[in-house]
Amino acid sequence: MSKLNIKNLIKSFPSMDRPAVNNVNLDIESGELVAFLGPSGCGKTTILKMITGLFQPDSGDIILDEQSLLKIPTEKRGVVMVFQNYLLFPYMNVNENVGFALKMKGVDKNIIDQKVKEMLELVKLPDIGLRKPKQLSGGQQQRVALARALISNPRILLLDEPLSNLDAHLRDEMRDLIVTIQQKLKVTTIFVTHDQEEAVLLADKIALIFDGELQNFTSPKNYYEKPKNIKAAKFFGGVNFINAKKHNDNLSTNIGTVHYKGENYTDLNEDNIITIRPENIKLSKNNDFNDNSFKGLIKSVIFSGTHTRYKIIVNDLELECSLQSVGLQDIKTDDTIYVHLPSDKIWAMNE
Amino acid sequence: MNNNLKKINIYAIYLGAIILILPLIAFFINAFSFRWFYPQVIPKELSLQAWVRLKLIPKPGQRTFEGFIELWASNPAVIKALLNSLSIGFLVTIVSIIIALPAARVLGLLNFRFKKLIIFIMVSPTILPPIAFVLGLNINFISWGFSGNYFGVCLVHLVPIMPYVVLTMTGIFANYNPDFEHQARTLGANKTRTFLLITLPAIAPGIVVAALFAFLVSWSQYLLTFLIGAGKVMTLPLLVFSTASSGNPALTAAISIIFIFPAILILFFTSKFVSGESGATSGFGKI
Amino acid sequence: MGGERLKIILSLTPPLLIIFTLFFGGIFYGFLQSLGYQPAIGKYEINFSAYYNVMFSERYAKLFWTGLGLNLWVSFASTFLAAVFALFGALAIRKTFFAKTICNFIYSLNLPMPHLVVAVGIIFVFSQSGLLARLASQIGLIGSPGDFPVLVKDKYGLGIILAYIWKEAAFFFIILMSVLQSLGENFEELAQSLGANRWQRFRYVILPLVMPNLFSASIIVFAFSFGAYEVPALLGVIYPQMLPVMAFEFFLNPDLNARSEGMALSIIIAIIVMILVVFYFWLTQAKIRKD
Repeated sequence: MSKLNIKNLIKSFPSMDRPAVNNVNLDIESGELVAFLGPSGCGKTTILKMITGLFQPDSGDIILDEQSLLKIPTEKRGVVMVFQNYLLFPYMNVNENVGFALKMKGVDKNIIDQKVKEMLELVKLPDIGLRKPKQLSGGQQQRVALARALISNPRILLLDEPLSNLDAHLRDEMRDLIVTIQQKLKVTTIFVTHDQEEAVLLADKIALIFDGELQNFTSPKNYYEKPKNIKAAKFFGGVNFINAKKHNDNLSTNIGTVHYKGENYTDLNEDNIITIRPENIKLSKNNDFNDNSFKGLIKSVIFSGTHTRYKIIVNDLELECSLQSVGLQDIKTDDTIYVHLPSDKIWAMNE
Repeated sequence: MNNNLKKINIYAIYLGAIILILPLIAFFINAFSFRWFYPQVIPKELSLQAWVRLKLIPKPGQRTFEGFIELWASNPAVIKALLNSLSIGFLVTIVSIIIALPAARVLGLLNFRFKKLIIFIMVSPTILPPIAFVLGLNINFISWGFSGNYFGVCLVHLVPIMPYVVLTMTGIFANYNPDFEHQARTLGANKTRTFLLITLPAIAPGIVVAALFAFLVSWSQYLLTFLIGAGKVMTLPLLVFSTASSGNPALTAAISIIFIFPAILILFFTSKFVSGESGATSGFGKI
Repeated sequence: MGGERLKIILSLTPPLLIIFTLFFGGIFYGFLQSLGYQPAIGKYEINFSAYYNVMFSERYAKLFWTGLGLNLWVSFASTFLAAVFALFGALAIRKTFFAKTICNFIYSLNLPMPHLVVAVGIIFVFSQSGLLARLASQIGLIGSPGDFPVLVKDKYGLGIILAYIWKEAAFFFIILMSVLQSLGENFEELAQSLGANRWQRFRYVILPLVMPNLFSASIIVFAFSFGAYEVPALLGVIYPQMLPVMAFEFFLNPDLNARSEGMALSIIIAIIVMILVVFYFWLTQAKIRKD
């Protein structure tokens, strides 16, 4: 149970023309499961390596339970990292791999054996202790790596792209295992991923990082409903963006005036951008809506199983809408249609 | 493929193999025969004469354990040269690996400016012939007091060896994942234990190959030893050369057999490591 | 960041120091001496007379130019023949057959053999009383040793060429085997299905594929045989004499003035090798740019 504070962290590499990590501030509460999300090369793994002490920051501080980590060597920090490709030591068997951290601490051999057994049961892999890493499948290697990391009761557990090397069907299993173990041991956990879906499914909170800069640090739900900027919205699958201007407590756009109920109205700039998720847009052939309703033309209809996606042109602006396929009205390409943007579902943000 | 063609092919291979192995056969006949006169192909009598004259085997009647010990303890020239060659080879190998290890790690793992230039400088001794630097160096060594000196010879052996050791080990580090070390560190291993438990086992096979090459290059060195050693440091190649020039085939063959023994041993050892891709192989061309 | 730079510098310094002081230092000092700068015997002026003497003086010109010719002949002939021998050996051996492992081993056997020993072996086999002469006499081809052709210590450097073929064929062989193995037989099977016969498959498929490796190995072998001392010293004659041997004898001459000539010769050898290597890099770079 440890809480982690990252303060004004900056790190540059000679080979890059911008800082790899630029002034990042984060406060992670004890027992939280946090995702660092961003495209590859955004600096998220660099932050992990600074928390472990494998990189030294240029400036800033990393504080674990009110104590700065910077002067403490990696092996004494109690911060354990599980690398993307598991990195099981190839010439040691599973037992030796899992017991490595305790051996480094000089723990009695019998106790190590006992603990190793417990850990392998925790990751649901008893009876493979004598095998070599080569003889294990990818999923098994991942579990052994997890067991190896957890055996010394780390204060912080770091996972670098924990699911990216696994097949789709193994991912669900592994994801459940990580959540179960994390809740059972209550270990503060940070994992790095480039996959927003994975971050949403696993994390209590997501730190979104672009080009070394922290964009936002909040719950997964907020990223969908209340993104902070257009980049964040796009990363989470946002496609509908409408340029807007403040006008009499409402927003005026080139498709007409939009009524807005968001709590951030006073924080908005004169020029801002409206976004709405495709599944929140409603369509009607007859103008059934009295509010935020605009006339448009269907450009394309794509059936994709449970949902059907429509592209609609409203006054030169293209909007995308996704409706449940069940019980659909008969809408075809080139039909004229009324598009409804519910005022409690639209969100405006500064750019 | 045409069956006859296949047969011709295989006979050609056998013929090539026999031609290649002829000198080796000649070495053994020469070294173990006595008065092997033209035009005999098979010697009339086998003999250990040459080995006795080299004082490697005692005279008949004294070939007991004590006899061998006594003979070798009298420190004949061959034993002296053998010990010099061995000790110089070992010393130079160990030193070159210790020096090359950090450099190879940096060259294999990191990218930085002038890296290509530095690699080019490192390998330049493999391109230019040794005679180009050793004549000038000889004069310098005389003034520094290294000439005719055991350590001067060791020092000059480092020049042809360094490029291969650095190159071979750079290749190892280029395929090496330093995250294994990071993993060990986050699991609580300190720097020393990380090196001993993680780094060393991973690079050990490569170090073995580099060491074998380094040893062999030093072992085969004639020109550099002759010039820098100024005749005072006698090694096996010097002995082979002078015996061969003086023209006694039996003695020459016997010394040569001792001289090539480690080479054949190493070929057995490395056959699974050796591939044309590795920088190390090109080292063989220069021995 | 600064720490990393320091680490790079500290790690690279020791080997670079050895190469700079011993190797480049040796070349530089040799160059100074070749210009006549010899403080040891009180000569401080700098001039090119040693180079002139070696190349154009009545005393040495003939020795030098015939030596250069011999050098070029020996290096070209031995590189080419060793490459051809190894190529056909490798092509034949890569297919599975009885005793493949043993043949593979024998073909690589000369790789770790010191050049010195190979030279001695050539004497044992090819001299007028060597193994081949004895075999020839047994089957009645020749009578006395004098009937056997002079192949060792001959004017044309044949013995030297033979020694280099013995030794370097193994080097080519190992490189070719690994290239051929990594290529597999897919290309050839494809070519065969497109109607290429044996010769065409060799000429248009295999040869272009192994050429880059064969060529760079040839440069190594050529450069080596051009500047090596041991083999021509054991298997050569006094006239014509290969340049490295000549340089060495100048250097060992009791007349210290001859040292400058020896140094000049060794610098000339180095320059020729360097020109060759630069030409090779220029060729490969030009090819890369073209591709």
